[in-house]
Amino acid sequence: MRLVGYAGDAAADGMWHAAFVRSPHAHARVLSVDASALPAGAVALLPEDTVGLGRYGCQLKDQDVLANPARFVGDIVAAVAAQTPAAARAAAAALRVSYAELPAVFDPLAAVAEGAPLLHPESGGSAGDAVSIGVRPLAGTNVCHRFRLLHGEAERGFEDADVTVEETFRTAGAQHAPMEPHATLAQWTADGRLELTTGTQTPFNLRDDLAGVFRIEPERVRVVAPPMGGSFGAKTFTRLEAVVACLARKAGRPVKAVLDRSEEFVTLGRHPAAVRVRVGATRDGTLVAKQLDCWADTGAYADCGPGVASKMGYAGIGPYRIPHVRVDALAVYTNLPPNGAFRGYGATQSVWASERAMDMLAERLGMSPLELRLRNLLRDGDRFATGETMHDVHFEECLRAAAAAVGYEQDPRGKGLCVLLKGMQTPSRAAIAVERTPVGYTIRSASCEMGQGVRDSLRLQGAALLGCEPGQIEVPDPDTDSSPFDTRTTSSRSTYMMGRALDEAVADLSANGGERGYGEIANEGGLDPDTGQGIASTHWHQGAAGAAVSVDEETGALTVERLHAAVYAGRVVDRAGAELQNEGSMIMGLGTALFESVEHAGGQITNANLSDYCLPALGDLPGELTHELIEREGAEPHGLGETALPPVPAAIGNALSSLGLHVTELPMTPERVAEAAA
Amino acid sequence: MTTTWLAPESLDEVLELRGEHGDATVIAGGTFVGILMNQGFLEPQALLSLGHVPGLDGIEVVEGELRLGAMATHRAVERSAAVREGWPVLARAFSLVASPRIRNQATVGGVLADADYASDPPAVLAALGAQVLLRSVHGERRVGIDELIRGHYETCIAADELLVEVRVPPGPERAVYRKFRSRSSEDRPCVAVAAVRGEDGLRVVVGAVSGRPQELPEVCANGGGPAAVGRGYAEAIEPISDSRGSAAYRRRVIAVEVRRALEELG
Repeated sequence: MRLVGYAGDAAADGMWHAAFVRSPHAHARVLSVDASALPAGAVALLPEDTVGLGRYGCQLKDQDVLANPARFVGDIVAAVAAQTPAAARAAAAALRVSYAELPAVFDPLAAVAEGAPLLHPESGGSAGDAVSIGVRPLAGTNVCHRFRLLHGEAERGFEDADVTVEETFRTAGAQHAPMEPHATLAQWTADGRLELTTGTQTPFNLRDDLAGVFRIEPERVRVVAPPMGGSFGAKTFTRLEAVVACLARKAGRPVKAVLDRSEEFVTLGRHPAAVRVRVGATRDGTLVAKQLDCWADTGAYADCGPGVASKMGYAGIGPYRIPHVRVDALAVYTNLPPNGAFRGYGATQSVWASERAMDMLAERLGMSPLELRLRNLLRDGDRFATGETMHDVHFEECLRAAAAAVGYEQDPRGKGLCVLLKGMQTPSRAAIAVERTPVGYTIRSASCEMGQGVRDSLRLQGAALLGCEPGQIEVPDPDTDSSPFDTRTTSSRSTYMMGRALDEAVADLSANGGERGYGEIANEGGLDPDTGQGIASTHWHQGAAGAAVSVDEETGALTVERLHAAVYAGRVVDRAGAELQNEGSMIMGLGTALFESVEHAGGQITNANLSDYCLPALGDLPGELTHELIEREGAEPHGLGETALPPVPAAIGNALSSLGLHVTELPMTPERVAEAAA
Repeated sequence: MTTTWLAPESLDEVLELRGEHGDATVIAGGTFVGILMNQGFLEPQALLSLGHVPGLDGIEVVEGELRLGAMATHRAVERSAAVREGWPVLARAFSLVASPRIRNQATVGGVLADADYASDPPAVLAALGAQVLLRSVHGERRVGIDELIRGHYETCIAADELLVEVRVPPGPERAVYRKFRSRSSEDRPCVAVAAVRGEDGLRVVVGAVSGRPQELPEVCANGGGPAAVGRGYAEAIEPISDSRGSAAYRRRVIAVEVRRALEELG
């Protein structure tokens, strides 16, 4: 049993605690913040304290340390620090903020309509704010990114189709709900360095973003990332760190913030989305054209919404050979809390839409949905719609395994299938260092532990390569001062990228006296955001799911009797860990499929607690929940942290569809199922 | 604002404090008040905790009548041999609330005094003809669930009174509790139906669909079989719309679940 120190446990001498003053309005200019009633012994961070600071944001620099205007209910307009968390909360309540309300918009389709209130009129149109190559804001609109993919000529392709189906599918917003909330400790050293201990999956991105806020060199910022009690994407990029760092500077002492559960709901969520699919095939079931239009609601700030919209766009094409494809995917600002990375990263929303549309098409063709998919699946050496050539392709194995597990070919009634492809962060870089110690070795890596088991995976891989026991290997917390650079711990890339970097590092150590080794792996590529051509991913996550359901026709209550996922794993490094990833992904997928939904009224989240927001519990698991890891002799390890999530909703939706129940909106509540039967 | 924490150690002390601090919010298990406070819906001047008051968590049978202390937890009721033996439908209804973690904390008195419409116990306690004891320094009164719960989060408990005990008459011959959930297995009910057939005939109470448990004796008296009673309830009730279901959907489910409860009841 190892004792784990989480960010929530971090402490420093003389540390104070933070509390935030949050906007009660969905969109409002802050006229003044009156701190005259601030209790003695508390420090307030006010708008005037942030003059001259830079803006932050991982893909568009559209966030200020303190918001003005406030762009969602819960946006932070001031902050306080005091000796105890309770004193800080009381002090925050003593600040008086006056606002002038502005018109607000809460739906991504309404937000792109003519005359919609603009959230970022001053910056939304400026590509100068784009910090990541390829972000395409549309001037004078709420569109902070438009991703297009053009392959062949879609309109002409549809002329070749004998059968075309079109439908719009929606997915609700969701909460990551990690057990440990966001926690950050910030302090400034005597020589003016900023040091943070924070729950994050992205220490280096965070370091660079904060350096921009405080206009200092990135090396003047140190980020230490202890293990997280869960994240699922919630702890990516800059969350509380900028405001807590600023507060610590004002207070002249270390300041720590730990959010409560209701604050989690206004910190980051998953993009609600609408995806319109049009897909056409010839009579024999050969796909000839596909068109996808996506509206991803990124909330009040872009965060990584542009990246999510792009991945939503190309994941929705599906693992198929289609000669003519057109994708138009928008990340749209609304006056809701920001949405960002979430296990499944854009694929969840578009796989739901596109794989449901495949079953609609099969029905129109009078063909088995399995047969339709098999006929069109990408195979080794095929080119995807991005123009890249696919290698190490296992879609058919995954799909056949899912179909076999639910007995699809024997009797497809009440059963549904889904197959998907999902990209991995490209381009990216992973570096790692190995040092000999008196007890064994130390492995320094910025891969962040969030319960996915990356430290165990590095220990296991290291032990095998170094010829020692896993217990002899120390893996310290990622630290931007001493860990080699890594792009970030996202997109199921660590076992694959960091694992290969470790191979190199151990080879380097062996070749250079056995004391020290350094390894680095990079993958190159990226897509042109205007054409969607290029290398979307150097490493494709591949998976499928099969579901068997029964329905209470009178109430619409849906029971998932059987759920199976098959995921390509290459070579398995940590079997228990890999199995838990599959199970966890499937269970999160069940929540999305059946009941998870962040709800709001006038921009205020109405179910910001775990009584009103439902998460899957043991009683919600299907009678049989099974999965398999598809392995290949001699293969590299393959990322699989989230592959089994996106196929779950469509597999269940297609099982309903086989019973004549056509549901287009997630979650598939009994009421929606009942409406589909009417 | 700071909240005063009052932690009396005897029932007499509680009742005195109730008399002095009519604005204090009583806190039992805290599963409901905790959410309201965390969400900023409730900012009490004072919290009056029952956590240190002995003798309020008893579960006993006296002359055939079940006595549940206000501080008895849902879990204790669910697991009590006496309750399982004499009032199995009650044990079942409490066992269906949320998760074991919540049931270990939430109390019998709390769930009734909160009068949260989306709870399991009120409907079944109403169908069983339960009454509650409300005590103050001036005396004690005994009221039925129907009188206790007036509407959304509203009860007849006076500012100086405390709900100290629930009394349930001897268990009926046959009783059924059906909980229809529209979201997770640990969710509150979308529609709750308690049906009891005893000496006084048939009682059907539908919970979680409006501000207070809905009992329609005239519909039950009309007879006409399970389907007719189900339709009668669905037509007469004005259900609310919330995240568990719209009013129209609840009507549909009420008709089905009342019918099923009566079929199960036999």
